[in-house]
Amino acid sequence: MDLVSENLVRSFGSRRVVGPLSFRVGPGRVLGVAGPNGSGKTTLVKILAGLLRPSSGHAFLEGDGLRRAPRDASEQIGWVAPDLALYGELTAAENIVFFAKLHGRRADRGWVDETIARVGLDPKRVEKTPLGALSTGQRQRIKLAFATLHEPAVLLLDEPSSNLDEAGRAVVARVVKMQRERGLAVVASNDPGDLALADERVTL
Amino acid sequence: MSGASARPGLFGAAHALFLKDLLSEWRTRTSTNALLLFAFAVLILVGYAVGPTSLTPEDRPAVHSVLLWIVLFFSAMTGLSRVFVKEEDAGTGAALRLSAPPHAVLLGKLLANLTLLGAVTLFVVPLFLALMSFEVKSPALFVLLLVFGNLGLASACTFTAAIVAKASAKGTMFAVLAVPLLLPPLVGAVMGTRVAATEADFFAGLDFVRLLVAYDGVVTTAAFILFDAVWRE
Repeated sequence: MDLVSENLVRSFGSRRVVGPLSFRVGPGRVLGVAGPNGSGKTTLVKILAGLLRPSSGHAFLEGDGLRRAPRDASEQIGWVAPDLALYGELTAAENIVFFAKLHGRRADRGWVDETIARVGLDPKRVEKTPLGALSTGQRQRIKLAFATLHEPAVLLLDEPSSNLDEAGRAVVARVVKMQRERGLAVVASNDPGDLALADERVTL
Repeated sequence: MSGASARPGLFGAAHALFLKDLLSEWRTRTSTNALLLFAFAVLILVGYAVGPTSLTPEDRPAVHSVLLWIVLFFSAMTGLSRVFVKEEDAGTGAALRLSAPPHAVLLGKLLANLTLLGAVTLFVVPLFLALMSFEVKSPALFVLLLVFGNLGLASACTFTAAIVAKASAKGTMFAVLAVPLLLPPLVGAVMGTRVAATEADFFAGLDFVRLLVAYDGVVTTAAFILFDAVWRE
């Protein structure tokens, strides 16, 4: 499956925030989106996730002879962003189980522990703590688990290493590496370490 | 390539969402506390102000019916908008949009609101009957009116909450949109409750039950048709 942007433009009022922007990302590839603060990286990622409509142009997923708008293919999309929040009153495991059920996954204890461990957290240590009481870095790791628990074909990472320590950055690199095997990824960031994970780059 | 799994059907996803909302509510008790405290305060005030003896026996059924539905109506207005507002306030709405089909979100939220309103009704009605010495001559009719009246309140409030969740003046918007929408079933519920209090014949008030069923059907259907646009735009 390819992720395609054709002359994509997004404006807020008279202010153009993104585009016109065209690119195609194929399976196994990682696209880096670079640009200073306010250049429209987050807006672009939200359009690719189907959370915002473009003002003109198109973004779509193309594969098996079909084109689908992101909002009609949300089961194929994983998304991490600074303004993504999970349920702070639930534990990490309860969040994972809830979203796994929505994605039709059988979320038994072993699988949930494995999913949490995959992002570098000890499932036993975060077992009884509400997500809201975890550190910002720990919550960022759980966001990575949320975005990948349904093994999406398209993984969209907006500032994935924000609030993460070196070990956390290694988790991001591992997540991106795994994503290459099942689809493609887009990494939007100012962080040179994040952008180094990409094969090609667009600058906004 | 992708190992994306097949999503559950409408009821599976709605059930997961319903259970999540109940667990969240149990942990935070934001809506429950607001609803129960409001209902309790109004019940005590009404009990002192009107009481069982300050009205003539002829006036009691009409006044008590109005007061009962006023308590339920304002309780609904106080707590039921939270289901969507808290998703937007906490920033969890986007995760939900990406993970659940829109109709499952609406159904799950509606079930959560129905449960909440049902709990408030179970709390309010026995207390109201006892405090006001409110005698119901047709209990079956009374129960049906409560069931379908609550369904109407919950459906209209849930859908209105989805509309206002992203607005800046949520409280004002919710009242402006919900009050006109809720007046028809409230009038029917009040009139039906008066009949249930004065007539032992179940069929004497059946038209009011029909009115509520029709209202519930129209509002719930309209909510399911329109929700996709409201939720994703």
